[in-house]
Amino acid sequence: MAETLQNLALGFSIALSPVILWYAFVGCVVGTLVGVLPGVGPLAGISLLLPATFGLDATRAIVMLAGIYYGAMYGGSTTSILMRIPGEAASVMTCIDGYAMARKGRAGAALAIAAVGSYVAGTVSVVALMLLAPPLASFALRFGPPEYFALLLLGLLVLAYMSSGSMLKALAMAALGLLLGMIGIDQMTGYFRFAYGVVELGDGIGVVPVAVGLFGLAEILATAGLAAPPQVIKPKLRELLPTRREWRESAAPIGRGTVLGFLIGIVPGSAHIIASFVSYAVERKLAKRPQEFGQGAVAGVAGPESANNAATSGAFVPMLALGVPSGPIPAVMLAAMMVHGVSPGPLLIEQQPELFWGFIASMYVGNVVLLILNLPLVGVFVNLLRVPYPILYPSILAFCILGVYAVNGSVVDVWIMLMMGGLGYLLRKLDFETAPIVLGVVLAPMLEMALRQSLAMSDGQYSIFVARPISATLLGVGLILITLGLRPLVTRGLDWRARLALAEKGDEHP
Amino acid sequence: MLTTDRVAGGALVLLALVVFWESRRLPLGSLRNPGPAYMPVALAAVLLCFGALLVVLAGKAPKLSTVSWTEWRHAVAIFGVCAFAALALERLGFRTTVALSLAFLLLGVERRGLIFSAVFAIAFAAVAFLLFDTLLRVPLPRGPFGI
Amino acid sequence: MRLSRVCSLAVLATVAVASAQEPYPSRPITMVAPFPPGGIADLTARPVAAAMEKVLKNPVGVLNKTGAAGAVGMQFVATSKPDGYTLLLALSSISIIPEADKLFGRPPAFTVDQFAPIALISADPTILVVPADKPWKTAAEFVEDAKKRPGQISYSSSGVYGTLHMAMELLSHAAGIKLRHVPYAGGGPALTAVLGGHVDALASGPAVVLPHIKAGKLRALAGWGDKRVVALPEVPTFKELGFPDAEFYIWAGVFAPKGTPEPVLAKLRDTLRAAVNDPDFKGAMEKIETPIVFKQGAEFARVFEADAGRLAEGVRKVGRIETR
Repeated sequence: MAETLQNLALGFSIALSPVILWYAFVGCVVGTLVGVLPGVGPLAGISLLLPATFGLDATRAIVMLAGIYYGAMYGGSTTSILMRIPGEAASVMTCIDGYAMARKGRAGAALAIAAVGSYVAGTVSVVALMLLAPPLASFALRFGPPEYFALLLLGLLVLAYMSSGSMLKALAMAALGLLLGMIGIDQMTGYFRFAYGVVELGDGIGVVPVAVGLFGLAEILATAGLAAPPQVIKPKLRELLPTRREWRESAAPIGRGTVLGFLIGIVPGSAHIIASFVSYAVERKLAKRPQEFGQGAVAGVAGPESANNAATSGAFVPMLALGVPSGPIPAVMLAAMMVHGVSPGPLLIEQQPELFWGFIASMYVGNVVLLILNLPLVGVFVNLLRVPYPILYPSILAFCILGVYAVNGSVVDVWIMLMMGGLGYLLRKLDFETAPIVLGVVLAPMLEMALRQSLAMSDGQYSIFVARPISATLLGVGLILITLGLRPLVTRGLDWRARLALAEKGDEHP
Repeated sequence: MLTTDRVAGGALVLLALVVFWESRRLPLGSLRNPGPAYMPVALAAVLLCFGALLVVLAGKAPKLSTVSWTEWRHAVAIFGVCAFAALALERLGFRTTVALSLAFLLLGVERRGLIFSAVFAIAFAAVAFLLFDTLLRVPLPRGPFGI
Repeated sequence: MRLSRVCSLAVLATVAVASAQEPYPSRPITMVAPFPPGGIADLTARPVAAAMEKVLKNPVGVLNKTGAAGAVGMQFVATSKPDGYTLLLALSSISIIPEADKLFGRPPAFTVDQFAPIALISADPTILVVPADKPWKTAAEFVEDAKKRPGQISYSSSGVYGTLHMAMELLSHAAGIKLRHVPYAGGGPALTAVLGGHVDALASGPAVVLPHIKAGKLRALAGWGDKRVVALPEVPTFKELGFPDAEFYIWAGVFAPKGTPEPVLAKLRDTLRAAVNDPDFKGAMEKIETPIVFKQGAEFARVFEADAGRLAEGVRKVGRIETR
């Protein structure tokens, strides 16, 4: 413990030097700028800006990347709240209630809550990372395909609580999303599925263009031509900050989101994306007034934002403790370290303590710099909404195209965004929610891969899922959740039958 | 009676059938060793059920005729501009494409003034390119003459 | 909108005329890395581009054109104008992708003869690693056990028909064993799986597994190269162990589209020869622990053909992964 503190002091002495602070600051600014682009979240942000850091020395580059990472994440929340454009798949849930709050004139409050939530989650995660990384990391490595499958199945259960409308419609949309996620090369056999000769579809349709299309573009298509374009209540300066009640209502969701997100985040793989979905569902389930969700519930912003931030930090646990590229973002960070001659691995902490602790300290510093940078900017961002919509929406559109194109340098992604925009527009007209589609697209490839990997491991024996303690536990939890949820499901079923009867009556006597 | 849910349900059923048909070329595999077509077919079956349920249970949903489509002109115009942008992006370059798209939306669709539209469109394209391509090194496509 | 199309056509026509007689290079060159930033292709492409820029005194930019295991970027270069301004930094997988397309009877995204090989930059043999707590101490024990229990020992890979999969398949055929393949979505997850003990073995580039071998988490059994890996002098090669057909390298080379004029190719070969001797380039490759192996012209073409032939046969031997 004493050693840890001593090391941390060493880390801070590196991270707090003016030059390093400057790089953290530049990283945050640049990260926010790129993160504001629709579709460019932390992963795309780091990948896009990684080459720009190759010229720096190791510590500066890593500090700057940490800044970019936090900046991109927060930039994404900003567009989600102000314009209903998800910066990445995980901010889809922020779009729903954050944008609803903005429409009610509470954009400033939503932004401030998101910033503070992210800050708290980031800080707690860094502390957890520091103290618990080694034991947690070896636990995280025990997550193989069967455990992963069980975890994702739990994530799918979340759907039942996610939607504020009809459960049947939400399930139908999720099935549609899962089916869309099947497009691309089958990773177990190499067959092309539903790609029709388009090589770019080999990797699937991509969550980013789907999320930006279904949310951002669909919103523009639906609202730009309204006789009265969305009238945002212009916030007064003193209304920028959250009210006492809003703070109170977001405290617990931030705490829960942090813990939940961190735990999901440490699992190697890309499951951290589901953290914000799970958090939203949990908050909705626990809320005293669940009907407020979707209409601008502050908990619906605080929970998912914190969960998302904690999850991406949690993903660094196996990377730092074991040198394992445990997820897409840690993999890019590892590459950045390699470029600077740092060979990542289990011996990193012993061999290059200044780098390890410098990294931890710079994550912390980056988080603080971001908060200082962004709270005053809330006012500036909110003022963007004063721009008349007929001028604002063409600009948003241009940014959508720029962001979606930049992530992979692919025009096919722009086309996918366009198709999904059309689909989202039609579904909106027909009164369907689109968030379950995004969750489906996220989950489908991972779920299928984990299932088939498990069966390949066990030679087709399904007993592998119950024979391994972690997956058995997770499946047990899922079973309990289903049982608990069965009662409302049954009553809903009755509801359907009642509705059917009504409908038939309606048909008989028009 | 044509309701919103019924239309959507019908479309989903149709999509599920298309997926069944398109999966016929891929090996199905078995429960213990699922092939590439296994999950798509299983999911299409689920989608088929949900779609059919929607059609059956949708009597109470709002009628299709009650949905208002007043903004369709705008929607079509925006959709068209996006399609143009996708086609032109790698041929004309980022700056030309975005400037043209913005100018069309501002001038043609939103009826802003000519000078305002032109200046705004060109300035927006130039500044965005300068910021992201030149300063932040995010590669954006260039058109003929490196524009 | 029609006006703009007419304009763009006129513009394109002028460009085509203008570029007919200009000294090469007179505008920025793009080096396409078909994998995302931070991957081995990207980490090689960037120092190569920087060193070329120094030699040519002309900008050389790296463009990450990613997707479909590299097929998107490779197809992009294969179909771009053969003028020396679009180059490709490809890995071994360049000869696997068209072969796999052939196997499934689909129109290939590109074929290898759409490229003119310019130079080989690096080549790294894969090595076989197992978790340290597994019983096999030597490659011979591993092979013997695999013969006793066909299809029982599992290995992870970066994906079906990926480089790491092909390395293992070449070994299986050379040694006459049958292993159980569990593909993962990329080299990172495949390494995580073997570290977590979810699979029994992995073929991997030395640089990535070296720290884990040093830390005692993984054990290296043998390498696929014709020489031992410098950092692991005690680990034998499969060749020494009597499996000469188990030879495999993860290499990186620079290609241009077929039809690039010979003077331009010659200029590029000269540039690359100077570039690999640049101290900054050497330093960058040392940091990512990738040995520079420079071959150009006919010599590279020979190596490339031999490798492509080996891999093509490997892919055919694996065949379609049908369901049992």
